[in-house]
Amino acid sequence: MIELKNVVKKYGESFALDSVSLKLKEGELVVLKGVSGSGKSTILSLIAGLLKPTSGEVIVDGKKISKLPDHFAALYRRENIGFIFQKYNLIADLSVADNIILPLIPMNLPKKRVEILLLEVIRSLDIEEKRESLVKNLSGGQQQRVAIARALINKPKIIIADEPTANLDARLSLEFIELLRVMKDANRTIVVATHDPLFFDLDFVDRVVEVEKAKILSCL
Amino acid sequence: MISSINFYLLGYALKAIYRERAKNIFIFIVFILLVALLASTLFLSSAMKREYMQVINTYPDIVLLHQRAMQNSTYDATVVDEVLTIPGVSNAVGRVHGKYYFAKADRVFTILGIDAFENYANPLLQKLGEKYNLKEDSMLISSSAAEILKRNYYREYFNFIKEDGSRKKVMIEAVFQLPKDITNANIIVMSNDLAREIFGYTPSEITDVAIMVKNKEETALIARKLQEQFINAKIILKEDLLRRYETIYNFRSGFFLSVFIITFFTFFIILYDKLSGPNSAQKREIGVLKAIGWRVEDILKAKLYEGLALSLSAYLLGVVVAVIYVFFLKAPYLKNIFLNNYTLLSDYRLELHLDMATLVLLFFVSVPLYVAATIIPSWRVATLDADEVMR
Ligand SMILES: Nc1ncnc2c1ncn2[C@@H]1O[C@H](COP(=O)(O)OP(=O)(O)OP(=O)(O)O)[C@@H](O)[C@H]1O
Ligand SMILES: [Mg+2]
Repeated sequence: MIELKNVVKKYGESFALDSVSLKLKEGELVVLKGVSGSGKSTILSLIAGLLKPTSGEVIVDGKKISKLPDHFAALYRRENIGFIFQKYNLIADLSVADNIILPLIPMNLPKKRVEILLLEVIRSLDIEEKRESLVKNLSGGQQQRVAIARALINKPKIIIADEPTANLDARLSLEFIELLRVMKDANRTIVVATHDPLFFDLDFVDRVVEVEKAKILSCL
Repeated sequence: MISSINFYLLGYALKAIYRERAKNIFIFIVFILLVALLASTLFLSSAMKREYMQVINTYPDIVLLHQRAMQNSTYDATVVDEVLTIPGVSNAVGRVHGKYYFAKADRVFTILGIDAFENYANPLLQKLGEKYNLKEDSMLISSSAAEILKRNYYREYFNFIKEDGSRKKVMIEAVFQLPKDITNANIIVMSNDLAREIFGYTPSEITDVAIMVKNKEETALIARKLQEQFINAKIILKEDLLRRYETIYNFRSGFFLSVFIITFFTFFIILYDKLSGPNSAQKREIGVLKAIGWRVEDILKAKLYEGLALSLSAYLLGVVVAVIYVFFLKAPYLKNIFLNNYTLLSDYRLELHLDMATLVLLFFVSVPLYVAATIIPSWRVATLDADEVMR
């Protein structure tokens, strides 16, 4: 479903990725592990079409993502990708509902449709009673749920999480793992980049891929 | 049209304004001030120009004034015959007129002398002269002059204080309505002889000569001939007055200029500040939006809504403020700044009149600049690689 073929990403003379190949099946949960600077985020950006490889190809569902012009890459993300960032990257001064519907705004959907999609995610993540609260007034755990709700509202096939637990305490990290399990059970393809050991021996993780110095070392 | 507006995007843009409310309120106020100040100035000057032109249009083609010690003096009525001998002159009338200060009301009346046998350049005087046969001690007064007298309990007559200090009782023969364009003028029409008596002139003195020419194109030529013949005369051409209306305004007034410069300066600082943005939080926000599927054009559209909502509403409010200030409040203070000590008109009516050119000009010096300053920085960021939010 997702395939990276001999992908090279260079910044000037230095390699962020050096001939990386990787295949993910539909519904698979893959964890990318590796030290800081090894190239994990770069792989995620390439899958999301946020970056273009210097050479090689990124293919998702038979489509060459690496060749898409920016305009179409955005449309591709809108339909296929749900993003979970390290620091949530929510807009603190907007309400929970306003944050969650952000991915839908450019689609100019009818109000009814937006409301249905919104209710679905905020109910499943148990934040319905907070929908009009400002994000900055929420606890860390609630903010995390808002960030996940935003990633799920467009019903993406692929979920990309970059260091999702880097800024979380132990309790919230465990809570995230639980939510991750729910997403996995919904048969979404999930890629998590992390160096948090918590992810390395979870029973529902299909593969742990080690990235080191711009190369993929091993597939456990 | 309405159906193509993305209301969620509009909502996002309006909330973006609200999220930065402290800064945006400041910008909003400066914007309104700038537009209101510029619009007031332009509205006022064009309204004054219009009214000035209307009044000047009732003037004779040429006015001949005697100068003595570089000051306006009088002629003997015999000059009129001399003027009439100049080829191209179709009519010349010796006029007796002047200003009368009514101290108790602190108002100035314009006294115009007429003579039933003269042919006047001024259509109003022409009509009054034909309609009324003014007696030795009666006068015609304009409605606004009548108003002033009535307020001071003069309903049937008025006591003028003559040049020698004695009093002269003059009956009010009739009150007349001035044409719409000069309704506020306090005009008193009386016989030439009575006007001379009040001003203390001798029976053959005139204050100036109103000259009409046959062919308007010859006006300058005739003016030159007049100047040769009357070396000490000051010659005023209607066409010069029409052309040089700007001289009645004092555009370079220090007060006005400094307020103007300060406001403009502030506006440009705002533009500069916007152009040097966005800050790191805004950059991150743009990156997140791109990552979750916004196209560059979606981001720019949101910024366009944001810039337009603020600048357009500030522009419209600024114009409304200016309209109220100039046309309803009659531009207190600003009007005096514009008027020099010497003006041909003391009372401007400032009738509501919105000229499109002014509104369009104002729109283009404010709204597009602000919108551009809102969009351009976001455009710079939005077109960069969006993967920065990943770090
Ligand atoms: N825009 C850029 N310009 C130059 N170098 C870059 C850029 N983006 C990434 N790099 C380099 O590419 C390499 C891989 O970066 P990447 O962000 O993928 O690492 P990472 O594994 O995600 O690290 P971390 O664990 O710190 O997030 C790093 O050496 C980084 O410095
Ligand atoms: Mg990273």
